[in-house]
This record gives sequence, C-alpha cells and structure tokens, in this order.
Amino acid sequence: MRRGPRIGLGIGITYLVLLAGAVLALAPYLLSLLTSLKQPVQLARQATLTWPAPWTGENYANVLGGQYTLLPALVVTVQVVLVLLVGQLVCSVLAAYAFARLEFPGKRLLFGGYLATMMVPQVVTIVPLYVMFAQAGLRNTFWGIVLPTLFGSPFAVYLLREHFRGVPQDLEDAAKLDGCGTLRILRHVVVPLSRPVLATLAVITVVSQWNNFLWPLIITTGPTWQTLTVATANLQSQYNGNWTLVTAATTLAMAPLVALFLLVNRRITESIAVTGFR
Amino acid sequence: MERLSRRALIGLGAGGLLAGCSIAEDPASDSSSGGTVVTVRLWDDTVQRAYEKSFAAFREQNPDIDPRIEMVPWASYWDKLPADVAGGTLPDILWVNSSNFGVYVDSGTFLNISEELPDSIGGWQQTVVEQYTRDGSLWGVPQLSDAIALFVNDDLVGDTDVSNLVWGGADDTFLPVAQALTNRSGARTQYGFNAGYDLQAIFFNFVGSNGGTWQGDAASGDDTYTFGDDQKSVAAMQYVVDLINRDQVSPSAADTNDNGDFSRDQFTQGNMALFQSGTYNLKNVADSAGFGWSIAPALTGPVGRVLVTNGIIAVGNAKTAHKDATLKVLEWLGSAEGAGYIGAEGAAFPAVTEAQQSYLDYWQGEGIDVQPFLDAAAATDVMPAPHGARAQTGQQAADEILKEVFLGRIPVADGMKQAQDAANAAIQE
Repeated sequence: MRRGPRIGLGIGITYLVLLAGAVLALAPYLLSLLTSLKQPVQLARQATLTWPAPWTGENYANVLGGQYTLLPALVVTVQVVLVLLVGQLVCSVLAAYAFARLEFPGKRLLFGGYLATMMVPQVVTIVPLYVMFAQAGLRNTFWGIVLPTLFGSPFAVYLLREHFRGVPQDLEDAAKLDGCGTLRILRHVVVPLSRPVLATLAVITVVSQWNNFLWPLIITTGPTWQTLTVATANLQSQYNGNWTLVTAATTLAMAPLVALFLLVNRRITESIAVTGFR
Repeated sequence: MERLSRRALIGLGAGGLLAGCSIAEDPASDSSSGGTVVTVRLWDDTVQRAYEKSFAAFREQNPDIDPRIEMVPWASYWDKLPADVAGGTLPDILWVNSSNFGVYVDSGTFLNISEELPDSIGGWQQTVVEQYTRDGSLWGVPQLSDAIALFVNDDLVGDTDVSNLVWGGADDTFLPVAQALTNRSGARTQYGFNAGYDLQAIFFNFVGSNGGTWQGDAASGDDTYTFGDDQKSVAAMQYVVDLINRDQVSPSAADTNDNGDFSRDQFTQGNMALFQSGTYNLKNVADSAGFGWSIAPALTGPVGRVLVTNGIIAVGNAKTAHKDATLKVLEWLGSAEGAGYIGAEGAAFPAVTEAQQSYLDYWQGEGIDVQPFLDAAAATDVMPAPHGARAQTGQQAADEILKEVFLGRIPVADGMKQAQDAANAAIQE
C-alpha cells in the first residue's frame, strides 16, 4: 500500500520528463509550421512566437505553384531518390554478398580499403569529383547528380555484409544441393531473409539522398536540375531570409519522409533488433 | 510477396526511366536570339529583374550578343565559385564582393578592367573603384554600392532631433538620446540603438569616426590587420561594447552575434528607435514597417562622420571564349543607361554615378527621402572595406574572438589584440 503512491509519483515524473523531451523535440517543427502559415509582414512586425493572424496558405501556394514554385525541384528529387535507391540497393547487395561469402584474392584488403573511404570527408573529394564530371560533360545533368553515389555506399555494403554473414551457411548449402547458383541463392535465400535490414537501408538511402545538399548544389546550375534542398536554400537572398517561404518549403519537403517513416515504422523497429543498428 | 517485389521494382524502374527529364525550364539555356551567348552570374533576385530589363534594352542595340542570367543565390554562391574556377566552368561575367575577390585576382581569373575599359572608369563611384583596385588595376565594373545611414522610428523618437548625433567625448549627444529612447521596464523591451557585431554598419562607422584603422593601407598592398594595436580602434570598440553591456541601450550580443536580422526585425516590429544600417535593408524596412519612419545621417564621431562604402562588382572571366562580347556587356553594365535599371527598381543602389539619381527618384516616388544614403555614398573620407587576397579567411579567424568581446567575456583591449593576431596569422598561412 505504501509503495503505490511512490510508484505513481515515479511514473508521473517519468512521463513529465518524457513529455518535456517530446515538447523540446517537436517545438522546432511546430514553430516552422506556424511560421509557414503567417504572412511575411506579420513575421517582420510581430514577435516570433505569436499565432498566425490571419492564417494564410499563400506561402504554400507560392512554393507549390507560384513565383517560387518548387514542383520541378520536387520531381527532380523524386527521380534522383528512385534511381539511387534502386542502384544502391542492387549494387550494395551484390558487393556485400561477395565480401561476405565469396572467396577471391585481396578480399580483405579491398573491403578494408573500401570501408576506409568512409573516413574521407566529402569536402575533400568534391572539387576533384566536380572537375572530372565537368570534363566529362556531366555538369548540370541528371546523371551528374546520381552517378557518384549510384553504385552503393561503404556504409550500406558494411551493414549488409555483417547481416549476410549471419545467415546460416546450412541454408545456402541446401540451396546449392538443390542446384542453385550464387545469384539464385542470393535472390531466393539471402535477400528474402534480409527484408528488415533492406527496409532499413532503403529508408536510410531515401532520407540521406532526399536531404543531400552539397553535391547537387555544386554540380547543378539554374532551375533545371536543382533538387529540393538546393531550391529551398535558394529561396533566401543575402538580406532577406524569406522565412515564411522557407518554412513552408521545409514543411512540405519533410512530409514524404514522415509518411515513409510511418509506413515502414514496424520494419525499422524490427531491423534495429535484427541488425543492432542504431 | 514476390509479385509485390516485382511490381515495386517495375515501379522503381519506370521512375528511373523517367530520370533525365526535367519539367523546369532553364532561362540560361534558352536559344531564342541566336547571338553570342554571354552568361552573367549574380546572386540577388531583385537585381536580376532589373538586369533582365537592362539586357532586353542591350539586345535591341546589340542583336549579335545575347546576355543570359545565371542565378546562384547568396547562400550557395561562394561554395560553387571555387569548384567552377577549378573546373573551368566559370560564366563569362559574375558578381564578386571584396572578401572573395583578391585571391582570384592574384590567380589571374578576372579580366583587367583598367586595361580593357579604361575610358569608362571615370563614371563609377570612386570609393568602389578604390575598393577593387589591386596592384594598381581595377578588376571589375562597379555595380552596387552600400551606403550607411540611420533608420529612425519617428513614432518613438518624436520631436528629438537625431539628424546629427555625435558619439564620444564631452560633446556626446548620442548616448543621452539612446538612453532616453530605451525602455526596459515594461513587458516589451524598447531598444534605443542597434549596437552589435555588425562590421559594415556599426563597427567601421565607430572605428572610422574615431580616427582608427582596421587594416593597413590597401593602395600600397598592406593587408595586415591593425585594429588591435590601434588605440583609437580599441576605444571605439569599447564604446560600442559599453552600449550593449553597460548602458544597455542595445540588444544583447547573444541575440545579435549570430543573427544578422535580429536588430532589423526589432526595428520593423517597432521595438527599436534608431537602426543604423545600409541601403541593402531599405526595401525590407519599407515592406515591413507599420509605423512612421525616416532616414537620417549616420552617427558622427570625434573626427567626423566616417563610414565604410562597400561595393559589388561584375568581373569578366579571363578565360572567356567570347572576350569582345563579354567586354561589350561589361561596358553596358557600367554605363548610365545599363545600370539605370538597377536604381529604377529601387532594389539596390547603383555604383555607376549617373545612375544613382534613378534610385533617389524611385524612393522619392515612394515618399521616402534617401538623400542621407546618397550623401554617404558621395563622401570621400571613408573607412576602407576589408581587403586582401585572404580577407575572408582573416575575417573568419577574428570573428569568434570578437564575438566573445561583444558578449563581455573577454576585455576589449585583450580581445582585439587576440583577434588581430589570429587574423594576421590566418592570412599568412
């Protein structure tokens, strides 16, 4: 009987702390949403934490189809993400399986060397990469944006390799006895067993490519191939932040990622348990 | 499940097939005129609209040349520039500012305007010409000029005369006014003035009008930072820091150090009486202020009213494939007719002297007297803007220390000396 109120108090405090954490985490998004529903004049004349008065959808109208339309950038971003998703998943699965199961000379050295490229900051390679692409005539083209990361990433290969090494060898041996070659084993045994980790990898790829900024900024010029991140940054001028437009653009840009997370929420949770990835 | 996976793959593949098709039009790749294409890169979308009108007039007179604008907004401009220089993909003409031009001049990236367009130089604002003269030559066509003045909230200031405020010394008329206009007692804080870490609008005005220096003599190529050893600069800085931390007539440095818009927003929200800033904020204030306001001359100090005049130039790519056409467009941009469109839109203050009247006319049409800006631009006693091949690097090295000084965490004299030494070390690296 005595411990009841104490436990209740403990739970209450726990929830209070969690609630405070939730408020802290969600407040920036709420502030962004509120700002996107204000008129620029209100933002300039009143304190930041006031409610929109009047509530306006003009910022969304502007970024959806008005003077500052981001629709072309949205289409480009979707194209880039789709192509990179397919390319990275296919290539990473093939490479990871080779590193996990196949034997070939220099395997460890090659894998170590490939992983070591993760340690090189992007800014170090960006100018040489740009020069190569510019000389190849790929500046300001779709393929200029996607080619550098189309063939997988070290992180994806590492993640999948670790997972593939955990797939029981007996299963693969059984498939071999049934006459399967390497590719069929990969397709019919290993990949189906790896759906959770592939789902995680897909989400990571989509989110990272959706938010990619530096390379699309460098390799593109003008509106034809600019991605959402570049187009949103371009809404700001030197002396005018255009915050109402920027917050409308970021709210819209965030929506597909939130939807994606809600869609595959369970798979991600499963894969965290499966892969130990956090 | 397999069917589903196949469908998903087919869907993704279809998406991939669509890849390579953009629904956006690129104005820079439009091939309507058939003339020699000269690409012009800039970062300001309001000036872009003025340029479009200007280039339409240019094409009528020069049908064989087709200038096309390539917008790279400010946020991305300086990230792209090094890659374009390295990749040999610079446009024919591009805007640059003083912090980012010296290093490219030294590497031979830009056309020498003193040699290519010697007859045009007399028509350009002298202070901007001097700012972009390096090794005895001018390296770009002056396009915009920032002039500094005092935005006044007439409703808060009332009958107080703020047309010639003097700071410092026994005749300090500024501080009493700033104190009288400050009110921190109510729920809403009212600031008298926008002292803060704003080199262009605040710091250089105080240093210059106290007879202090920031760097060595630009004309003789001395880029060394001197502000920490110059006691007049230190005294000016002490005055500005005191306005924030001792007299409390200005917002906290915690608010303004990393948010360049804070003071402007306080002014447009009616919470600041005097806001010293430049022509670059005129349109923002005009669009946002919901109270009576006007423009007065900037503050005067012990040695007079000394301000920095900071310009933007259009440079020509030394490796352009169409040098004659590029020079013709540059010449047009430096002419009264070509630059007149900039002022006529009210978007920015032209650095072509004869075109400046159009700016005055535009704002007079809006009911705003911008004469204090014109007077500031015409002044000859000016504080030189930051200069040197590695001006940006030097500035970045000093920034963090100077921000600590403004926060009151490092004594002014010590902090300025540290910042000066850090900046000098950075430009030597």
